[in-house]
Amino acid sequence: MVEQIVFILVSLFTLITAVVVVTNRNLFHAALALMASFLGVAGLYVLLDAGFLAAAQLLVYIGAISILIIFAIMLTRRLMHALESPFNSQWGLGAFTAVVAFAVMAGVIAQFWPVTPDSVTPLASRPEVSASILRGSVAELGRALVSSDAYVIPFEIASVLLLAALIGAIVVAWPKAEDE
Amino acid sequence: MNSVITSSWVLALAPEISLLVLLIIVLIYDRLIKPEERRQIGLVSAWGATVILLLTLGLWLFGNEPNVQASLRDSLIWGGMLRHDLITLVFRVMFLVALIVTSLISMDVEKLQRGEYFALLITATVGFSLMASASDLIMLYIGLETASISSYVLAGFLTKDMRSPEAGMKYFVYGAFATGVMLYGLSLLYGITTQTNLYVIGSILTGAQAIPVEANAVLLLSAAMIVVGFGFKIAAVPFHFWTPDVYEGSPTPFTAFVSTASKAAGFAVFIRVFTAGALGTPNPSREWWAMLVAMCIVTMTLGNLAAIYQKNIKRLLAYSSIAQAGYAMIGLVTFTPDGSGAAMFYLLMYVFTNIAAFGVIILVSNITGSEDLDDFRGLSRRSPYLAMIMLVALLSLGGIPPTAGFLGKFYLFRAAVNAGLWGLALIGILNAFVALYYYLSIVKYMYLYRSEEEHISIPVSRAAQVGLAFSTFFVLLLGVYSGPAFEWTLNAANAFYALIG
Amino acid sequence: MTPGQLALRSLIVGFIITFAVITGFAYTTLLERKLLARLQGRIGPNRAGYIPVPTRSGKPRRFLGGIMQPAADAVKLFFKEDITPAKVDRWVYTLAPMLAVIPAILILAVIPWAGEITILGQTFSPYFAIAPGVNVGIVFVLAITSIGVYGVVLAGWASNSKYAVLGGIRASAQMISYELALGLTVLVPIMLADSMDLGEIVAAQKGVIDWFVFRQPLAAIIFWIGALAELQRAPFDLLEAEQELSAGYTVEYAGMRFGMFFMAEYMKMIALSAITATLFFGGYRGPFVDQVPALGFLYIGLKTFIGLCIMIWIRATLPRFRYDQLMAFGWKRMLPISVLNFVVVGIFIVLQEEGILQPLFENTLRFLGIG
Repeated sequence: MVEQIVFILVSLFTLITAVVVVTNRNLFHAALALMASFLGVAGLYVLLDAGFLAAAQLLVYIGAISILIIFAIMLTRRLMHALESPFNSQWGLGAFTAVVAFAVMAGVIAQFWPVTPDSVTPLASRPEVSASILRGSVAELGRALVSSDAYVIPFEIASVLLLAALIGAIVVAWPKAEDE
Repeated sequence: MNSVITSSWVLALAPEISLLVLLIIVLIYDRLIKPEERRQIGLVSAWGATVILLLTLGLWLFGNEPNVQASLRDSLIWGGMLRHDLITLVFRVMFLVALIVTSLISMDVEKLQRGEYFALLITATVGFSLMASASDLIMLYIGLETASISSYVLAGFLTKDMRSPEAGMKYFVYGAFATGVMLYGLSLLYGITTQTNLYVIGSILTGAQAIPVEANAVLLLSAAMIVVGFGFKIAAVPFHFWTPDVYEGSPTPFTAFVSTASKAAGFAVFIRVFTAGALGTPNPSREWWAMLVAMCIVTMTLGNLAAIYQKNIKRLLAYSSIAQAGYAMIGLVTFTPDGSGAAMFYLLMYVFTNIAAFGVIILVSNITGSEDLDDFRGLSRRSPYLAMIMLVALLSLGGIPPTAGFLGKFYLFRAAVNAGLWGLALIGILNAFVALYYYLSIVKYMYLYRSEEEHISIPVSRAAQVGLAFSTFFVLLLGVYSGPAFEWTLNAANAFYALIG
Repeated sequence: MTPGQLALRSLIVGFIITFAVITGFAYTTLLERKLLARLQGRIGPNRAGYIPVPTRSGKPRRFLGGIMQPAADAVKLFFKEDITPAKVDRWVYTLAPMLAVIPAILILAVIPWAGEITILGQTFSPYFAIAPGVNVGIVFVLAITSIGVYGVVLAGWASNSKYAVLGGIRASAQMISYELALGLTVLVPIMLADSMDLGEIVAAQKGVIDWFVFRQPLAAIIFWIGALAELQRAPFDLLEAEQELSAGYTVEYAGMRFGMFFMAEYMKMIALSAITATLFFGGYRGPFVDQVPALGFLYIGLKTFIGLCIMIWIRATLPRFRYDQLMAFGWKRMLPISVLNFVVVGIFIVLQEEGILQPLFENTLRFLGIG
């Protein structure tokens, strides 16, 4: 029960801040709201007993990504005068699409309502989650990332992805000094 | 799926590993050479890719890698992340050929003579190759992202140009959104099955146990969302809006690369995910089947009709490539090994054809400085060989014998008819006639119109000569002697329909 | 114990520790002023409060002069006019000092202050902390430290002043650069102790010989430098840089709002000192701590105090970095060294676990003709 209430509060926080992100006219405030929304997501992870994921969310999304966004805004925008309208000529169409997409998704998910452990007919057996797995989840995660029968190839390829992104960043940011 | 790493597992990744070695060589070589020798980087990249292509083929011919006889369970390697089968090999050959020829035709474009450009081409190839062999949702996504991120940057590579960064940005925004939607679809799939392996999901969804009604709805939604991502990759209508702008703005060699390799990789995952039964048994009684057929028809028709009005040759070929994706989708929606094999053969010949066409455009636009159709006036007098190559490429795109395009379309339509899809085959044939109009209008510009600059010849470097001759040779070879190649793709396509026993 | 009781106990412990650290903050300011003065051959604040020690001459000696200085400062800060400049972004301007203080308090949650101990019939197991047994404790610390930069950045932006903004931009760039080296170095104690739980990291450093600082002095040094950079202490205090930015991000703040920034800085000093002690200097462990668990408080207090003294000492000794030097140092020295160090430690641990290290070592000695 308490968990339910906390979940609803955290979700509300996440959603409301997310709405602020897209509707706020001040770009800087929107970025701050984005950070708050990320914080809410971290809260959801904590509720799911995923402590490491929550800490990683804080570290990566709030500590690095949001800061970079704010950094970019501070460097590119004129201070305090950056009032952007979140609406353009296509907002009606956009809203319509969003509502339809939401209705479809809600409709599909509503088929599962009410969700109780026995009402769902799962196609596959549920993965067992025991307390010991949760306790050593970080070690399990680390082992899975380097096991040949688990995720070692995606893990290694992620480094190729990052290398490509790094080269790409260099291409984009390289000074265009020597004019041919 | 056991956890002991066998030599077969490592050999299955040999092309990717060698590509990464090549990537490092290119990056280091770029720092070592003198500025005036910069074009050598492209040569290194092309030679390296050639060696890797020979290695890949050699492993298959002499090392029996991949083993065609292996059961599905044995062909799933690295914990089910990858599947080592003939499909992967066929697609790898396409990507490596695209990489070789693209390197060759990029070599003499001065602005592209940078290590980063070739490095990104190589990482993109690695991504494509892994997309083609991925048999797990996670692997699929990572391969796709590796390829996409490299592609976004390559599209915007000419940072000083006006159109190129715009193309890169458009490609990026579109791509990020499409991938996001696809990811949501994949997560729904994981949600109802708690599995990420395509073939395991397939065995659950196509197994004896009936799919519950609510799960069916989720499957349909998931299929729609996944199609957004794949449709973006293969540039199918209605996810094609980026195509003309990106093709036009990107550096032309990259346009050649993205229109062939990227499309082929998109088809590889598209066919694999749907035929593995990851969204339910693939047959015309599925709800999403009608959606795919509709997409296929609209893609063909809209691509061709829009291409007629284009005055810029790169935009024209962009719409043409949308239409070509529509044809290849015919092979997909039949959901028979015949159809998938035909689609793979079609993509194989399309790689050679389209790269040849873009190679000619690069050489012409290097001299004229723009990509208007008018630049092709009197090409037959300025450079008969280039005009000849362009003619062969266009005939192949249009589907006229004795080029590969004819047989490609023939196999596709035959597969459709065999699967009972008469209407689809008919629409395809009608579209092929519409397409002939604009392909032949380019020929008209090249052979019938005169230009005041006819006396200025177009220099063709040795590298470009080799690249173009290579592609043209294969377009013609596959046109007159397609038997073995078609057998090969057909054999490969059988692997799509394997099920976990 | 039910979760509810556990939460209540954590709340109480949290209050006590937070107030202890806030008091510590007050006296750290005094320590800094006194010690800086001594290092510069001055006396420092010695008027506000003292303990009169009677002497034979009749005039009492003023012992511990300046002991009430923090209280005087606090009173001053509270009663100063709290100005909100006209063109600031009010929301963010108010939010910034809070966002500076909150992370500083949050870090305290996972630091183990003593071993298994029974106080007032309550047994704290496996160790005494506000939130004991968080299995990702150290990642939590890193995460919270990285949030700390928001206070500075927001203050800089909201003040609508170019000096403040420059301070904010410098801060964010600096934090992001040094966080990498810091995070990679933290992996070394994690690998040595085979756990991310701060309590287990302490438990792995049984005797003084086992302190990780002796096994990995390089990691300890990099961590300390990284911590100073995260704290934006001298020589990394570019965001304040009085001569260039006239105190940077705090330039538009007054009264207790300014005081809160001050408080955040000193509380983070204490927290990071304690964390350094935990990671590399055996934390609350020391002689007889197994017999008398309460000694743990003393030991970690002492170690933290020494850490604070070293910070002040560094401030008095080293000149400030130039901005490009700061960036070059972070990216071209700290990061490669910490990556290399991390890789080398990993290799050695694997060699040891596989039983290769010992024979390798002996054979090398034999080969050299020593063993």
